[in-house]
Amino acid sequence: MKLAVVVQRYAADINGGAELHARYIAERLGRHATVEVLTTCARDYVTWKNELPPGEDTVNRLRVRRFPVTSPRSPERFGTMSRRVFDHVHSVADELKWLDSEGPTSPALVRYIREHEAEFDFFLFFSYRYYHAWHGTRAVPGKAIIVPTAERDPAIGLSIFGPVFRAARALMYNSYEERALIQHVSQRKGPGVVVGVGSDIPERPQPGRFKRKFHVRGPFALYIGRIDENKGCQELFDYFQRYASMHPNGLDLLLIGSSVLPIPQHPRIRHLGFLPDADKFDALAAADLLVMPSRYESLSMVALEAWALGRPVLANAKCDVLKGQSIRSNAGLYYETFEEFAEAMYLLEASGPLGAVLGRNGREFFRRHYGWPVIERKYLDMFARLKHEPVPALEPLPGWFARRSRTIRPAASIVAAAPSGAVRP
Amino acid sequence: MNVRSDAVDVEQIMRQIRARIREKRGADYTEAELQQLATVKLETFLDPRGLRSDLVQSFRQKQTAAPSPPNFAFEADTLFETHRGLLRAIRGLLRPILKLFFNPDRVTTALNLQSQINTQAEQRLRRIEDREMLSYELLHNMTLEITRLGIEVHNLKMRVESLSSRVDFDERRAKALEGVVQYRTPPPPRQTSGGGVGADPAPGTAPAAEAESADSANGERRGRRRRRRRRPGSTMADAQGQDWSANTQGGDDVDDGGADEGPADAPESSDPTDQ
Repeated sequence: MKLAVVVQRYAADINGGAELHARYIAERLGRHATVEVLTTCARDYVTWKNELPPGEDTVNRLRVRRFPVTSPRSPERFGTMSRRVFDHVHSVADELKWLDSEGPTSPALVRYIREHEAEFDFFLFFSYRYYHAWHGTRAVPGKAIIVPTAERDPAIGLSIFGPVFRAARALMYNSYEERALIQHVSQRKGPGVVVGVGSDIPERPQPGRFKRKFHVRGPFALYIGRIDENKGCQELFDYFQRYASMHPNGLDLLLIGSSVLPIPQHPRIRHLGFLPDADKFDALAAADLLVMPSRYESLSMVALEAWALGRPVLANAKCDVLKGQSIRSNAGLYYETFEEFAEAMYLLEASGPLGAVLGRNGREFFRRHYGWPVIERKYLDMFARLKHEPVPALEPLPGWFARRSRTIRPAASIVAAAPSGAVRP
Repeated sequence: MNVRSDAVDVEQIMRQIRARIREKRGADYTEAELQQLATVKLETFLDPRGLRSDLVQSFRQKQTAAPSPPNFAFEADTLFETHRGLLRAIRGLLRPILKLFFNPDRVTTALNLQSQINTQAEQRLRRIEDREMLSYELLHNMTLEITRLGIEVHNLKMRVESLSSRVDFDERRAKALEGVVQYRTPPPPRQTSGGGVGADPAPGTAPAAEAESADSANGERRGRRRRRRRRPGSTMADAQGQDWSANTQGGDDVDDGGADEGPADAPESSDPTDQ
């Protein structure tokens, strides 16, 4: 069996959520099939500037083909088009312009997929919202499997994605909430399975080493990820500072990741910067809990890693996925307001047995659902199943006039009307 | 909150957390708490030191005169207007040909209508702005008036308290005086030039009897009467207070301060001319 993993960026040191997800899956499936990665020359997800050389490369023993991006993203144009399609009545043509403005526009990549369709059994398209996934799925609908990594943002409400979701052979969801959302907006009925992704958890993390290396004393809550307002970090800082004033001798907040947001000068907030994986896992093992303040997540890998290491998670309940996972795993608390944040944080801080029980539940949840054997089996089962499933027909794009008719509702209103909340299977 | 079992239920814990928050915050205020909150806010609002007298001026300064939005008059010939006479003539000639391709009258009608709508919208906007100004002034005047009334009510309350204390004082003073008069031992009988009264007066009738004798004693004793005068710097109430003190503490000897009603002067005090 030969598989193609198609993703917007790919390199060993690219740690974006969907890109890391794609790399993990490609490397794991490489044990069962011949896997080739098709991607762009971009490294930066904001500009899509061509930074890596086009052509063949090898990353962790997998063949990678990179194709150039024709034009970098213009933030102004992308912003204008986003406002038009998200907030106003618009046309299919507007949505296609939005897709082009978002990028990474690489017609060469799509052409390669079309021309080499026969060489591959399946194409796994990561991140439904980008150019490569939409055009790629339309190029080879009979062999397209989408790993949507969809969040509850207005893009999922765009009408152009409905036919693509319906045409794909299968969808590999990250969570039950993501599946419910996509099925609602696209009316898809075809095969799909909630898979997610595993992680390479070290056998013996060393919390003591981390504490010594970074001179950490006392208990602490940990945040791992990009320190960004979009990730809910500003709210986290506000809440934590208020919490710290209420509990002067409580735990500290440690931040790991690159920062695009000013970090408040507070004696109990420490930023350690971007750390290698070994330090990250040691930090997780040393932490009392992991805080996940983000509102938009399709799957929080770091939350799964915390659970894998037996650490409880305090998540933002406004993110359906995080709340749903906390409930399903019985391994994390969640908050919507400061009062809930403070109470939950205090409970996890002050009640040692609770943290231990939640951590144990998390470890079991990870082992049962996100262990690599489970993930690999789900993918392989899906490939086997698709060999016997009928191939759905691809709906053609509307005609020239219909495409320009501005009759489509704002995407934001469509997403707002979609059912929300944690899914209890 | 206790977590006793290994089989924790995250949703149950969250329900307990929310219940605790509700308990801490308190879902309902009592009537007394509401009154207290209302009083605090009203007092803050009515504090004359916190009131700005230049609110209207500030508002007017901030109200920059918004320029009128651009508008135009759109008529049937507007599309073909030009200051060049020849060009105007050519356009006039070609107008029927233009109408073969599309109907410019619809465009003209729509734009003319839009122009009217723009005019109406501007007029409506101006009216709203004027009304907003009036509303602001009204609000400002009401604020001033409420403040003034609040202060006046406060002053009136103080006056009522003062008056009620005076009334109270007067009542007690009157009762005390009645008691003094009632239990006063009658004075020894004196020979008067008027004669005719041989028996001791009955208790309680002394003032009348003495009044009679006072009448007969005439102006000689009237000259000895001492009238209490207010000391400089003291008020009437002060003076009354001293009288009351003398009355209550000095027993029968109330003449020390020179009050008209003292027992020693009782015959004179009953003189109608002294009332």
